[in-house]
Amino acid sequence: MMRQASKMILGQGLPSLPTRTRAVVVGAGKPRMYHERVVDHYSNPRNVGSFDKKDPNVGTGLVGAPACGDVMKLQIRVDDESGKIVDACFKTFGCGSAIASSSVVTEWVKGKQMEEVLSIKNTEIAKHLSLPPVKLHCSMLAEDAIKAAVKDYETKRAKSNSIEEAAPVKKAADA
Amino acid sequence: MWKKKLYASKPSSTILLRTTELAKIQSPNSVSHKNTPILNPLLQISASYSSSPPFVREIEGEFFATAGGLFFGGSRFHKKNVNLFVKKKNSFCSESQSAEKLQCWNCDATTDGTTPFLVCQACRSVQPVNHSIDYFQILGVERKFNIEVDELEGKYKDWQKKLHPDLVHSKSQREREYAAEQSARVIDAYRTLMDPLSRAIYILKLENVVVDEEERITDPELLAEILELREAVEDAEDTQALNQIKAQIQEKMQYWCNSFEDAFLNKKYDDALGSIQRITYYKSAKEELVKKL
Repeated sequence: MMRQASKMILGQGLPSLPTRTRAVVVGAGKPRMYHERVVDHYSNPRNVGSFDKKDPNVGTGLVGAPACGDVMKLQIRVDDESGKIVDACFKTFGCGSAIASSSVVTEWVKGKQMEEVLSIKNTEIAKHLSLPPVKLHCSMLAEDAIKAAVKDYETKRAKSNSIEEAAPVKKAADA
Repeated sequence: MWKKKLYASKPSSTILLRTTELAKIQSPNSVSHKNTPILNPLLQISASYSSSPPFVREIEGEFFATAGGLFFGGSRFHKKNVNLFVKKKNSFCSESQSAEKLQCWNCDATTDGTTPFLVCQACRSVQPVNHSIDYFQILGVERKFNIEVDELEGKYKDWQKKLHPDLVHSKSQREREYAAEQSARVIDAYRTLMDPLSRAIYILKLENVVVDEEERITDPELLAEILELREAVEDAEDTQALNQIKAQIQEKMQYWCNSFEDAFLNKKYDDALGSIQRITYYKSAKEELVKKL
């Protein structure tokens, strides 16, 4: 299951340093590689998957970086009463840094309050993964994704609340 | 004796013809180095284009010729004044600023403007890279999106015959460096124009419309479509299914390429950028698909 899931996200396997992301720093002696945390998230993906979009407890954030052809979907399941995020999953098509960024975010948000996760900054993600400058936009994408997911959930909730409010009024009108 | 020898070698013969005239006029310095009479007049030629008069007076330093070209020693020399100029410094020219007369660094011939000035027509020496010559000019095609890619290969190879570093062994160090740069630029030009996406991005860049590398979007329709497409590619079981999807992607890319062209011709650059976004997404989907095949 995990294998299949990882294949879904990751294609044929770790593209050993795709040319786009490889940067050989002349003079420093060492070629710039993916940080081991990025490799870890890539080889051992966690929280890959999908929730039902229509589920009222689920918020879905769908963002993309068109210049590199990346798409990121991040979903959260929120407990209505406590406002706590009980579960999170992601699906990202793009480079290893983008996948790792979204994976890290799903790990971080579990068990947190919705308002709390809004303060997750891309700089924290980038630092955690030691992202090189050229990949910083991947962490920004992940920040955008979690914000979009929260926003989506709140929009849904507001809609359903307004429907609930309208219904009793209607009943009263009918009566 | 050495005069005869120099006459025999083609490139410098033109220089020699001009310099011998000047050598008669001017009295060479007392330096006994055999190349001096030639060097002095050459300096005069370049000095006449120099922007700083004091340079002319400082020609008393040592001269020595190296295998690569002319080098001038002497502590009074400022290196920047030593360059033999590619472009005429036109203080007297009545031509407009934009139409710069390009001049060969080697033989001072001016270009006739019909072919891109990568190699001098007269003395066949390689010129330094001039970034104002764009890729379309280098490969001799019209600046538009829908070019004939078949034409590109021939022109690319023609240039490489003249510019490729492997073919300029006999030339000076300086010229070999120029050749390496020019050759690399021609390769860039060819690669950029061959691929529709990079061609589209480049043609917009020439209009000063730059694709933002870090832009993020939230368009739900587009993203949902791409997500679905990527999932389909990942889920595809066999080659047949993959080829089907590939055909669909090709179709869509063609559609959006056409859409780009329309937008570009009508100067609707926002729409053009939108088309580029879609083409980029389809291209990356196709790359993943091809990996699976």
